[in-house]
Amino acid sequence: MSDNNERRVLHAEFFTEDPEPRLIGGKSKSSGNWTFPPYLADPVSFTDDVEHLPLPRNGILHSFTIVRRSLPDFTVPFGLGLIDFPDQKVRVMAQVEADDLENDLSLGMEVETIIGTVRKAKDGSDIYSYKFRPTK
Amino acid sequence: MANLREVYIIGVGQTPCGKFPNKAAHVLGREACWAAIKDSGIHARDIEIGFCGHVYQGMGVGQRTLKDIGLVGQPVINVEGACGSGTLSLWEAWRTIAYGQQDIALAWGVENLSKIMSGGPLPLEEDDIEVALGMSMPGLYAMRAKKYLDEYGVSEETLAKVVVKSRKHAAKNPIAQFRKETTIEAVLNDPLIADPLTRSMCCPVGDASAAVVLVDGETLKRMKRDTTRLPIKILSCVAQSGGYASATGLTCDPSENVARTSQMAYEQAGLGPKDMDTVEIHDAFAIAELIVAEALGFAKKGEGSRLIEEETSNYDGEIAINASGGLLSRGHPVGATGILQTVEIVNQLRGEATGYQVPNAKVGLIETMGGAQPAMDGITCVVSILGK
Repeated sequence: MSDNNERRVLHAEFFTEDPEPRLIGGKSKSSGNWTFPPYLADPVSFTDDVEHLPLPRNGILHSFTIVRRSLPDFTVPFGLGLIDFPDQKVRVMAQVEADDLENDLSLGMEVETIIGTVRKAKDGSDIYSYKFRPTK
Repeated sequence: MANLREVYIIGVGQTPCGKFPNKAAHVLGREACWAAIKDSGIHARDIEIGFCGHVYQGMGVGQRTLKDIGLVGQPVINVEGACGSGTLSLWEAWRTIAYGQQDIALAWGVENLSKIMSGGPLPLEEDDIEVALGMSMPGLYAMRAKKYLDEYGVSEETLAKVVVKSRKHAAKNPIAQFRKETTIEAVLNDPLIADPLTRSMCCPVGDASAAVVLVDGETLKRMKRDTTRLPIKILSCVAQSGGYASATGLTCDPSENVARTSQMAYEQAGLGPKDMDTVEIHDAFAIAELIVAEALGFAKKGEGSRLIEEETSNYDGEIAINASGGLLSRGHPVGATGILQTVEIVNQLRGEATGYQVPNAKVGLIETMGGAQPAMDGITCVVSILGK
């Protein structure tokens, strides 16, 4: 993207935007076991043959909340969710965006990975990272 | 495992829980430590080693604490395990005695939170990728609550009843932070912090310290001390770190750590959930009382709310849960919490919890759960079982 150099990005190593937003997980060649984020060694086989590969774009919203009181640098309210990738057996915690937080989110719904604003920097500028929103 | 020596708690001390921004951590700490040493009936110089649990109190808080009561020279270890720091210091003291390294140890926990924050969620580790994206402890527990209420058909009203019970208990506990009773309506009408948790379903910001003196069984027999102060035996003490969520698949339950740790503690003590008379559990948020009670075996999965609805977990009920008021109402001064829980169980087993004494309390359990980290179910869980 053209504004990449100006965007302030958090956790750039854990997602890709090419060709679409997806998280980067770790997959052990020997055990086939996935983690997010990638670990140095696979927790099942204790081997370090971990490949960094994209997860599917869409996951399932295991649970969520609307955070109304948070630490500084976060604009409240915002959605926070646990997103499951069942085939990889990976559960990810991330912000969840919706036009109407109160009504648009439900347990078990499909959500997609997007890149968006997650917090403010000390100078007030936006910081971007991965987050999720309901699939259209 | 080696033959473990018997370990007893022979003295306890604690400060009130509340906001004391003008009391440094070592000032709170020395009050609790001194009270515990006096209660134990030993001379302060008999303390051979100290373990100080804390999270936010800076370099050398344990040494700074003991210096003020004349204790210098002996080793002091500062212990950090998030909200489990207090009981992690108890575990360190227990094992150093159980394995015969020292005979007499002091374990305490201390925190002055109001010096660093007035309210709101605890500051967490920004290097944690989920924290950097907005995770807070209320947010995490709120997601657990949302899932639990949906899965087991439990209402927000049940969560409110947990708080009502907690305040009712705390009203009789002289050191509790919140001693005013409340109602279901008041709890539900409180501002939401993270849906479905309202403010009073979350533990408060507060400060305190608590301390215990531990000794091995042989030394206890030889000691010249006031024998009216009943020694309380540590029947088991187990510390465990959280397990992977991802590596074990999506079935990983947030209470897996508690279930695993308590199972080991029951085995070490040769006892089971039915043998417990009084229990202090880590109810940092109202939902935790239900989930943890199930993980500890006091209710089947999804049926923890029955303990609340049927009032069997009241201090004079079948299984007293958080007779002290727990973290929600006695308070949660992070590093001090585990030792406050321990002091509470010792007081109950000694029959000294005036006004809210659990009838015929002979065996008690303490569960402390600390922190969260990405894709895991917690940082530290410590479960101890005490008996008289």
